[in-house]
Amino acid sequence: MTILNDELREPVRNFTFPRHTLVSLLIFAAFWEVLSHLAPVLGIPPFAIPSLLKIGRSIVTITPIDIVVTLARVIGALLASFVLGLAMAMAMYRSETLEKYLHPIVRLFMAVPVVSWILFAVLWFPGVEFRIGFVLVVVCGPVFLIDTLDAMRSVPRELRHMIKSFRPTTLQFFVKLMLPAIVPTIFTSWKVNISLAIRVVTIAELVGAVTGIGHQLSVAQELFSVADVFAWTIVLVALLFMMEAIVARVETRLLRWRA
Amino acid sequence: MNIAVRSGPPPIEVRGLRKLFWQATSGQAVVAIDRLDLTIAPREVVAIVGQTGCGKSTFFDMMIGLEPPTEGTLHIGDKSPHADFDYFRGKIATVFQQDRLLPWRSALDNVKLPLELIGMHEEEQHIRALTWLNRLGLGNFVNAYPHELSGGMRQRVAIARAFVVQPDILLADEAFGHLDEVTAAELRETFLALARECGSTAILITHQLEEAIGVGDRVVVFGKSAKLLADIRVAAWPKEKYAVLREAIQFTLQNNQADPRLL
Repeated sequence: MTILNDELREPVRNFTFPRHTLVSLLIFAAFWEVLSHLAPVLGIPPFAIPSLLKIGRSIVTITPIDIVVTLARVIGALLASFVLGLAMAMAMYRSETLEKYLHPIVRLFMAVPVVSWILFAVLWFPGVEFRIGFVLVVVCGPVFLIDTLDAMRSVPRELRHMIKSFRPTTLQFFVKLMLPAIVPTIFTSWKVNISLAIRVVTIAELVGAVTGIGHQLSVAQELFSVADVFAWTIVLVALLFMMEAIVARVETRLLRWRA
Repeated sequence: MNIAVRSGPPPIEVRGLRKLFWQATSGQAVVAIDRLDLTIAPREVVAIVGQTGCGKSTFFDMMIGLEPPTEGTLHIGDKSPHADFDYFRGKIATVFQQDRLLPWRSALDNVKLPLELIGMHEEEQHIRALTWLNRLGLGNFVNAYPHELSGGMRQRVAIARAFVVQPDILLADEAFGHLDEVTAAELRETFLALARECGSTAILITHQLEEAIGVGDRVVVFGKSAKLLADIRVAAWPKEKYAVLREAIQFTLQNNQADPRLL
């Protein structure tokens, strides 16, 4: 067997040129451009399918502050949801009684439609930021909670038994075993929740905010500016991909121990 | 690093130990251990043999302190490994059938784990873990993750993890049974040599008679519900009679009563 040192390990590849993604996006863009020119012939109003040039012009006029605001809302709420969900999952893992009482409520929260949460938030809370934060946490928190709780329960009995034989404190049990063991699930949960949060924040901003991408979408809709709607949508999608890429990068780094 | 031999681990006293489990489906009680009496002297190496389901693993769990007795007492010195759970942190160490290494930790970090749990200074942890990996012939693999090691190497890491705290009591549950004969024999020898050097009391649970006779100062034979069928001092048997001893233990296990040759 060869000597294994960190220096001798195959380095993790940092970047692969996304050739296939680029080609498929270019084909889609070309198809779109052709469609925008054919729209009148096909009986579609010309403003409904703006050309790439028009969308490009709208993108150039986009206000970065709205992107920053939406991004801050998403990241802040995701962090709060994660901490809350993880803490509750740990408490529920420790106490079967607590789990029995809380589980039905969590399931109930997950069954409530996002639009209902937004309406509740508008009716209950005066502050816009709190409303948006509330909706995001109440939607994303339970996902983190259920995912991490399930993952904790799936930690092999043999490993739990092993670490208990060395007599850890409760905190050590979670820090040394449970949290590292559920890291892969935590990353999956983050990826799911990023996508969820981007969609939810857009609707929440659309309904009750005066800043952010959702609000700008609402303005574009009022002005019948389809090009602006597309531009903001492209920004949203790009944001989502960017955040997912960052999470995937961290995931690769932290889970390099996997075969 | 020299291994410091302490004044000596405390004796293990088991009196009238009983362990019942209640079946979730029927609600009926299952007797896993029925009034076991056993004394293990400090630094003794005791092999416990018994058929599957005889209560060996339950006894192992009770020695670790993970299971409380239903009746009777199990004391190490004057303390109970279950009731005085925290007291035994760093004093009892285990080697399991599978290595049970944490896959996200390197060999070095796996060996450090018990030291982290007892709150040892980080520098001291590093030195100790490295020393034990070197002693077990894994000096070139300290940064390897478990999946990068062979089964025998992983078990060596697990042994290093057990010895690194220099425990009073070492427990091994079928620790070598899954390895090929050559590797198992080699590891068994290493384990025993280190246990004696450390001055630890060692309890090995096994179903392999060869292993039990080969390693134990004593071989304790468990019948159903951990009934003590025979308690054999191996030194009293000359090596040329090991075949007879093996036969007698085999007879005892099959008939759930002590072979007259063992009395």
